[in-house]
Amino acid sequence: MSAYDGEELPGSLHAMRADFEGVREMTRERREDMPQAQVTMDVRKVSDDVSVIDVKGELTAFAEGVLMDAYNQASDGRVRAIVLNFEGLEYMNSSGIGLLVTLLIRVNREKQRLLTYGLTEHYRNIFQITRLDDAIGMYDSEEEAVRATSA
Amino acid sequence: MTAREPTARAVERPPRDADHWARYVETLEVSDVPEGAVNLNVEGRRVVGPLQGFGKMWQKTYRVRLEGVDTSSAEVVRVWKERFPEFWAPGNRFFVPSVGLSPGGVALINGDMPGSRWFSTGIMVLYADEDSFTYITPEGHPFSGWITFSAHNEDDGPLVAQAQLLIRANDPLYELLMPLGIHRLENTTWQRTLENLAAHFGASGEVETRVVCVDPKRRWSRYGNIRHNAIILSALHAVARRLRRLRARPAR
Repeated sequence: MSAYDGEELPGSLHAMRADFEGVREMTRERREDMPQAQVTMDVRKVSDDVSVIDVKGELTAFAEGVLMDAYNQASDGRVRAIVLNFEGLEYMNSSGIGLLVTLLIRVNREKQRLLTYGLTEHYRNIFQITRLDDAIGMYDSEEEAVRATSA
Repeated sequence: MTAREPTARAVERPPRDADHWARYVETLEVSDVPEGAVNLNVEGRRVVGPLQGFGKMWQKTYRVRLEGVDTSSAEVVRVWKERFPEFWAPGNRFFVPSVGLSPGGVALINGDMPGSRWFSTGIMVLYADEDSFTYITPEGHPFSGWITFSAHNEDDGPLVAQAQLLIRANDPLYELLMPLGIHRLENTTWQRTLENLAAHFGASGEVETRVVCVDPKRRWSRYGNIRHNAIILSALHAVARRLRRLRARPAR
């Protein structure tokens, strides 16, 4: 059941290919068995290069497929910044925070930026304690977040 | 194609997950040191997530199917939390804080690591609910990131217990040691832990291991993390302690 087990030659082409194939396979398998996603994510393009994802519901491991689908839709074209709208976030566990880390890695790989707005005080604290705020900008409103993308 | 007007925020009420998360702390504080534990490399340190480390980012998943076990996922997690040090692999000691493994609790770890006999570090409980709990590491720990322990029912299948890590090596020395033993040590630790957990419930499922490199890039800007390296500081502490003892010995 191992997609990739054990150590490899660091940086080798074979190892990198195995890594990416592993991520793809892992994502596909998870999507097949995630009927419990209690979340919706609508994508809006607010300009040629900025997309907003409206997150509503629960951010848990089951949201992975929904989040990655939304990201693929949001990053279509020449988008250079993704803004996550968390005004509708109702619940998040540690797996949900893990999803944001893997999303951030994908966003960085595409040389895009990831920003958020609408986080309540509680979720801002979680971003702080997990140190996600080091890498993901937090703003009070969509207007501020969108303005920050051109800064 | 225009920015939506800011909407008025709903009146904030405590979210359902409010009690599951640790409160924000600038640095860790060890409120009580269990007898026999060495409190080193934890007090005053900041916690670090997978974004603060140096090495490649890995997602490691270890899972065991608890075939034939007739209990709930919540019961598995409750027992796992309660008896965590027993299920852990031998060679390391895990000191559960007096508050238990509840959000914000800081546990000390003393053990053996390559190059250092008196290795001391710890973890903080970042998150805990009835189906899972998560540890986050402090500066100086071999890994920067978190590990989530959980149990769930597979569709039409048995209970599954799982440990999942999202980590980077914290500094260049640990990154160098990853292929030289730390990867293997980590795998063995969590495979044995899950075997022990399964055995406790009378199951003997094989542990499945999945290792995925989430980010192959090293973050060279984080090379300075080595100043907190728990192996180096634990070794220096051991040498200093020995020197102090020699000095204190009365001259003949």
